Amino acid sequence: MSRKSYTIDRRQFVAGAAGTAVIASGLGGFPHIAKAAAPIKIGVISPVTGFLGFSGSQCRFGAVTAIEEINAGGGIKSLGGAKLEALLADAQSKAEIGAAEVEKLNEAGVAAIAGSYSSGISLATTQAAAKYGIPHCVDVGVNDKIVGRGLDNTFRFGPGFGVITKLGVERLIDINNAAGKPTKSVVIVHENTTPFGSYMAGLMRKGLEPAGFEVMEVLPHPTPNKDFKNIALKIKELNPDLVIPSHYYNEGVLFLRTLQRQRVAPKAIYSVLGGASSQYRFLSEFPEAAQYVMDSNHWYNPKNPKALALRKRTEAAGKHYSYEVFLAYTAVRFIADGIERAGSADRGKIIQALASSTWDGHFMPYGPTKIVNGQNMAAQSLNMQIQGKEIEVVAPAEYMTKKAVFPRPA
Amino acid sequence: MSEQTRIAGWTVLLALLVLAPLAITSGRWIEFMELTLFVAVLGQGWNILGGFGGQYSFGHALFFGTGAYIQALLQFKLGWSPWATLWFAIAGGVLVGAFVGYLSFRYGLRGSYFALITLAFAEAFHVLSRSLVAVTEGGRGVALDLNLDPDRALTTFQFNFGGDFLKAYGFYYTILVILMLAYAATWWMEHTRFGAQLVAVRENEDAAEALGIDAFRVKLGAICLSAAITAAAGVYYTQKFLFIDPGIAYGPTKSVEALFAPIIGGLGTVLGPLVGALFLHGLGEFAKETIGLVWEDRPGLDLILFGVVLILVLAFLPRGLVGLLDLAWRRLSGAAPAARKGKADA
Repeated sequence: MSRKSYTIDRRQFVAGAAGTAVIASGLGGFPHIAKAAAPIKIGVISPVTGFLGFSGSQCRFGAVTAIEEINAGGGIKSLGGAKLEALLADAQSKAEIGAAEVEKLNEAGVAAIAGSYSSGISLATTQAAAKYGIPHCVDVGVNDKIVGRGLDNTFRFGPGFGVITKLGVERLIDINNAAGKPTKSVVIVHENTTPFGSYMAGLMRKGLEPAGFEVMEVLPHPTPNKDFKNIALKIKELNPDLVIPSHYYNEGVLFLRTLQRQRVAPKAIYSVLGGASSQYRFLSEFPEAAQYVMDSNHWYNPKNPKALALRKRTEAAGKHYSYEVFLAYTAVRFIADGIERAGSADRGKIIQALASSTWDGHFMPYGPTKIVNGQNMAAQSLNMQIQGKEIEVVAPAEYMTKKAVFPRPA
Repeated sequence: MSEQTRIAGWTVLLALLVLAPLAITSGRWIEFMELTLFVAVLGQGWNILGGFGGQYSFGHALFFGTGAYIQALLQFKLGWSPWATLWFAIAGGVLVGAFVGYLSFRYGLRGSYFALITLAFAEAFHVLSRSLVAVTEGGRGVALDLNLDPDRALTTFQFNFGGDFLKAYGFYYTILVILMLAYAATWWMEHTRFGAQLVAVRENEDAAEALGIDAFRVKLGAICLSAAITAAAGVYYTQKFLFIDPGIAYGPTKSVEALFAPIIGGLGTVLGPLVGALFLHGLGEFAKETIGLVWEDRPGLDLILFGVVLILVLAFLPRGLVGLLDLAWRRLSGAAPAARKGKADA
């Protein structure tokens, strides 16, 4: 765990000291106003080392950016402009280390925690935080069990598996129907090492078959996986209309590139929580393999200027604007809104404020938050498609930036 | 070091560990101790087979994962009490150990071949746990129901939401009891004919057999004991975190953690895994804190420092830290150098 601090040079110090002296002398009769509010510590747990290191670093960037922006905007106003202080913790891609970091953050006096990227780590950290009544907002983990265990300290601002998959199936059916039902046969390819891919495959199958799709095969693979040639050839042999992949970023890239190299060209590739399918990094590195790939995933409201400003800031920092960045960013913003409304850094009061949150000052396509058992019921995924050099939102209509190209051009 | 001195040392160490919560009220340091003792248990499991028996395993996650999964699945699928399932979990670990041991030792696999076969079995179980979805829940993992009722903390073996004492120290004492049993078993083994035979097999299997030792039976006994201890660590993990998936259970992390502690601490010594675990975790924490003070927000630098120190220990302390402590003790007490009993004498 380390503290994120902001250094000042000698000139800034002298100028600041002089300014402070002037203000302090003017406000001598109101010492309670002149006194700086104590910073409020926010724990940020991300797996920045280990096999989840890339995603964890993206999460950390998003969370720290949110804290910097809140501080630059005057801090927590209901607490006299109290600044937020980020206490950064590395879960090292292990659940037990994540839980141990919670113990440290508790003793460091955090008011709340944001994190911890994966479902497995988040299950451990939310449970450990619950021991001390620390409000914990899960940034990315989509396992529905995280918020379904009766822990009143645990919140998730984004959508879970159930909602994402349900919407993914419904929108696929809508898109297919609108295009005159060009796809019927389906192959699902999913990673089966972590809860994420396995849940997704099961739920997709359950949703697609009653809708008239024929699921020809479900092809699991481990994570990490270094070779998709066999799976690509199997798909080529089955020749489905539609391929539905679900894996983490590296496997997502490799899978889509292998399909391209093996000239496997289904009518559509439609992923749900595709690791690479709506990632600017993938688009910039492999634009040809990425064309017309569709994805139902976490996404921001593309018409919201705040979302576009964060994208600009992220790219200026040399990073890709991935879902980890904006989910971690909004998780911290959600917590900050709770602290603002609670008017206190007391953990219990923050939990109460978060549980009754109707926050709508965010840039996600959710509308005002509605928390039920810790889950934001208003959260939803969007459907994206890579078209040219941009990731376009193709559903729902409210957030659409381009119409879906379905089936994709031969 | 005389037997009396060793016993006195052990008694003091044990008393310190039992009484530690009186001095350590910080949740952070209790958690640190818990993780350290957990790795020490994993390490002792590995040490019995690798340190005393000379059979280096690269796949001890096999036994850890089996214990963890059985503990989780019998509760999750059949609703059994965790106090009943733990015996099946340990027995399951022993059975898997006996199976792997029988196949490996029956066909005379030694050295790197044995290491590779254990690695292969761990990977095979990793694949099976992902693929047998109906039994293991596959990649989704098994998340046990959380008990939030403090009155049921003991019966559900879930101490995180128990009363003040259970919440703070319940799992510390759980892993301490497992550690004490594991170390008592190792102590017993070291002082029995079985232990002597195991060391003889390690030093020269052909010569041991020529003396009438049934090397196959001795190695099979060692792998079963080793598996039982490692599976018990799996039981602790499941009850503490209430979630297990194929990556946690059978991934390479636990196999590596299990062999590092005894190698650093001292192979073939009772105390080695505990000393190694304390050193590794202490060094990890120290590296994290000091690097954090100098370079903020530089994840991974602490791991580099950790790696460098590790290499130095491996290069300059072939008998591990226990060997170093032993040497220091002899210098201080003016005793003559000891005849080699284990890989290091302690």
